[in-house]
Amino acid sequence: MAEREAVRKRNKRKSDSYFDYSLLFVVLFLLVFGFIMIYSASSYNAFQDYGDPAYYMKKQLLAALIGLVLMVVVSKIPYHFFERFALAGFIFSLLLIPVVKTPLGVNSHGATRWIKIPGIGLNLQPAEIAKLCMILFLAVLVSKLGRNVDTFKGFAIMVCAPLLHCAFIYLFTKNLSSAIIVFGISFLMLFVASSSYKVFFALGGGGIAAVTALVLYIVNKVGTDGGFRSERIIVWLNPESQAQDKGFQTLQALYAIGSGGTWGKGLGQSMQKLSFLPESQNDMIFSIICEELGLFGGICVISMFIMLLWRMLVIANNAPDLYGAMLVVGVMGHIAIQAVLNIAVVTNTIPNTGISLPFISYGGSSVMFLLIEIGLVMSVSRGIRLADTQ
Amino acid sequence: MSSQNRNTGERKVKKFTQKMQKKLVVLFILILLAFAGLSIVLISLVKNNKVDYQKQILSQQQYDSTVIPYRRGDIVDAKGIKLATSEKVYNLIVDAKIMNTEVKGEKPYLETTLDALTRNFPMLDMVAVRKHVTTNTNAPYYVAAKRLTYDQISSFKSAQLDDSNIKGIWFEEEYKRVYPNGSLAADAIGFTTTDGQGSYGLEEFYNDILNGTNGREYGYLNEDLNLERTVKPAVDGYTVHSTIDSNIQMIAEKYIAKFMEEHKDLVRAGNGAENVGCIVMDVNNGEILAMASAPGYDLNDTRNAQALIGSKMVEQVTNANGYYEIKKNGQVINQDIIDSMDNDQLLLNLNYLWKNFCITNTYEPGSVAKPFTVAAALEKGTITPASTFECNGSLEIGGFKIKCHNGNEGTMTLESGVAKSCNVTMMKIAQTLGVDNFCEYQSIFNFGLKTNVDLAGEARTNSLIYNPNVMGPTDLATNSFGQNFNITMIQGVAGFASLINGGYYYEPHIVNKITNSNGATIKNIEPRVLKQTVSENTSELIRQYCTAVVQYGTGKTARPAGYMIGGKTGTAETIDQNTHKRSPNEYVVSFMGFAPADDPQIAVYVVVDRANAVRQDDAKFATRIVRGVLTETLPYLQIFMTEELTEKEMKELEELKLEITSQYKAPKEETEVVEPIYTVGEDGGKPTWLTFPIDPNTGYRVDPATGYKYDAQAGFLIEGDMSSIGIEEPVNKNLESE
Repeated sequence: MAEREAVRKRNKRKSDSYFDYSLLFVVLFLLVFGFIMIYSASSYNAFQDYGDPAYYMKKQLLAALIGLVLMVVVSKIPYHFFERFALAGFIFSLLLIPVVKTPLGVNSHGATRWIKIPGIGLNLQPAEIAKLCMILFLAVLVSKLGRNVDTFKGFAIMVCAPLLHCAFIYLFTKNLSSAIIVFGISFLMLFVASSSYKVFFALGGGGIAAVTALVLYIVNKVGTDGGFRSERIIVWLNPESQAQDKGFQTLQALYAIGSGGTWGKGLGQSMQKLSFLPESQNDMIFSIICEELGLFGGICVISMFIMLLWRMLVIANNAPDLYGAMLVVGVMGHIAIQAVLNIAVVTNTIPNTGISLPFISYGGSSVMFLLIEIGLVMSVSRGIRLADTQ
Repeated sequence: MSSQNRNTGERKVKKFTQKMQKKLVVLFILILLAFAGLSIVLISLVKNNKVDYQKQILSQQQYDSTVIPYRRGDIVDAKGIKLATSEKVYNLIVDAKIMNTEVKGEKPYLETTLDALTRNFPMLDMVAVRKHVTTNTNAPYYVAAKRLTYDQISSFKSAQLDDSNIKGIWFEEEYKRVYPNGSLAADAIGFTTTDGQGSYGLEEFYNDILNGTNGREYGYLNEDLNLERTVKPAVDGYTVHSTIDSNIQMIAEKYIAKFMEEHKDLVRAGNGAENVGCIVMDVNNGEILAMASAPGYDLNDTRNAQALIGSKMVEQVTNANGYYEIKKNGQVINQDIIDSMDNDQLLLNLNYLWKNFCITNTYEPGSVAKPFTVAAALEKGTITPASTFECNGSLEIGGFKIKCHNGNEGTMTLESGVAKSCNVTMMKIAQTLGVDNFCEYQSIFNFGLKTNVDLAGEARTNSLIYNPNVMGPTDLATNSFGQNFNITMIQGVAGFASLINGGYYYEPHIVNKITNSNGATIKNIEPRVLKQTVSENTSELIRQYCTAVVQYGTGKTARPAGYMIGGKTGTAETIDQNTHKRSPNEYVVSFMGFAPADDPQIAVYVVVDRANAVRQDDAKFATRIVRGVLTETLPYLQIFMTEELTEKEMKELEELKLEITSQYKAPKEETEVVEPIYTVGEDGGKPTWLTFPIDPNTGYRVDPATGYKYDAQAGFLIEGDMSSIGIEEPVNKNLESE
């Protein structure tokens, strides 16, 4: 008996410390793969600009190490601990966005999207904080609303909750893509939380119709005079028309992907990274992956993301409660949206907009907050109770 | 227990419902579909465009190669002094793209670099540079300044080292041709156009040897499609070693310049003479030690129209036969004319200036041809050294009465005939030779043939001499004393050298060695004896006759103090380009000499073409230049004096020594007193020449006893051995003075 008790206890302990190693493996794989690709894509430009080929890689490594530490810390804390900060985080992240307009704002790449944290010398993107806080807030909100999500009032609250953030991000940082991502995360969380399909098909269909109409309107009426966003639409439809100008980056990305072939030119053999493809270590890193590692490499990366999302699906569906599950759904939505949109941009499936590839693209804030989000997912996964009888 | 508790606890918390789980799966499927769609896009992208895009990428790569310029070889003189050299110069290239690079949203290089440019290149048009950089932000290549020296760019280069924010500026290397001595030996050296091609002189003749091969730095894609860079170094041009000795060249140019200065604007506006040429040649190997002519030009500034001032203007006309001809239009170029010239006219006149008088211009040699006539007859045996000829002032040939300038001189030996430059004697000698023999010797002396001197632009003279079929007795007579056929200076001096050096005709040459850029000899150019023109015995006789010219004949004023030399004066009428008749008052005077008289080492030939003087037919114009050149050149060549110096000569040499040694100290006051020679009679009273009657034909006072002519007013001895045949006399139709 005593022996049995001991075994059960051991099993219990085992079940208490459930840890999703697949998830950790995929995340670490993507991170390390990201370092390699950043080094490959940026070493030429980094050496030209800073005299150190590993300049970008080193910075990414530092941010990732901080992120990993935070991930471990967050994953050790029961996720309900964060519940109480949901509203505060929601308001804090909203108020943080206008700070980019203060002297703390850091200008780079022609846009003010970063905040300098005094003392540390680290730059943070408030939009990344907003994404994290929005996931947390909406997860709490869904768990509080419960079945009321399906009521009109509850649905309206859910739809309206991210709008202020989106507006702030768009207005203060001129960052449409981040606004879209924040809204997209909320939308996906709402989709999962709501029991209705019709509304979403209606919304989705309406959205597609509206976008199509807008594109047709821009193409036929406005031409290239309607500011840089409508210009992007024109370039999207025909990148060759402005091959040396606005379409340059898109075209060069396409050249990179196309020239890579099935198996690629080999790691480090990209020619497009030699100052032809702007932001090759950043938003456009997927095209360098395709150029160096070919279609094979690109599909592998997509597969890794699918695997990552699959693990999250499993965690969410086994989460002990609605709040935990919604947290995972939010993180899942975040990563899915960014990965899909990034690859869509690189392949010119949608108009060019600045979206980074999760874990792989260069960008300290992005990778740090993504790892914190993974920490949350791990924290939720710790709450999973394995069946006693096996 | 505990599990039950947990279950009851779980009932309180809201669950992730089955419906939600299903929806999440739906969401996951949607995401999968999105990824699948993107994968299809990727696959089709690769499948449809792989080859096109690969080509596109390769075409974007910069395999454009940069040229590494070769260095054109130097031209050095006999002592290794650089006559022409190439200096590395730098073109300032602005790369606006790099300058406008953004780092963290700012342009850290733009202002720093522009500021550095402003500070270090004061001559730069910064407004234009700034405009270019700010408007063409992607232009990587803009030449802001050309041909800067290293000194000019060094301050910027050090600033660039100090400040890493100075970016987008680089220097393209190029070579610039520099002539350290300016106009020295301009005609012989020639110059180089900006694209590295030689024009005139050595630069043109040895163009291919001086030029090297450009190197290249280029990129190419190796079999793994990696870009590789390779440098193929430039091969520098060879160095040409000229036989010209800068010191002798400078001496020659000094005396020519002195003459030009003295005669400038003397009777008419313009240069001291239309042309003055001087060749100094080593008679024992044909090496040209100096080749100078005036008017000259600055090799470093060949297009400077100021060099034309004082020359007669030339223009291109279409002649009766429909050919283009370049003719002097009589106008003397001044600033006003330069201003009014269009580009073509300017270029035409500059081209005329750039010609090398010593090899390109032809003229009737006049009496310097007399030793050749005598030598030919001696060789053929139609006369002997003991032959004498009777001169009674003129000889009637073919209906023309051809005069001797000295009047009736009685019996002439060969020596006195040459020494006194007697036309009648020469005509009679030529008659003994006959047309065929005379023409044969013309070609033996290389008249009518190119000498093949290694300089660009030697004139063809084959149509400017007679051939035996068309040569009449009058032509033979006038040819015998150097009229009615044309030669170039180089032909004259090369033939003359063979007459006095024992009969060896050396091909005249101005380059004796070619070395590569490391100094290794590529080619030695040895003296080439082309033929034996006359025998040693004849040569010795000619030396004797020519020495007599200087001892007591027409060339006394050519003798430098302390030396005995030989030579022959010449005065020839010119033919008017427009009337094709002999001009009554335009002459080419010359002196062809060698030194020392007993053992000739060098030959000097000076030609003064239409001096700016009241009477142009004065051989002293040429003999004085020869005298000056020899006075300084012979000691320089370590040829010792053999003759006693008179007190006057010693004083003269002292003054010259003082002048040469003091020329670097202080500018000396020039108080040149032109001393009329023979102005004072032997009795010290009234000058004898004033008593001589004036010849109504020539305007000279003529000494009835000797036949010497004196200037009617100033009393200058007219020393010209004018081979006057009168302006109505026959003219070789092919000849024209230029």
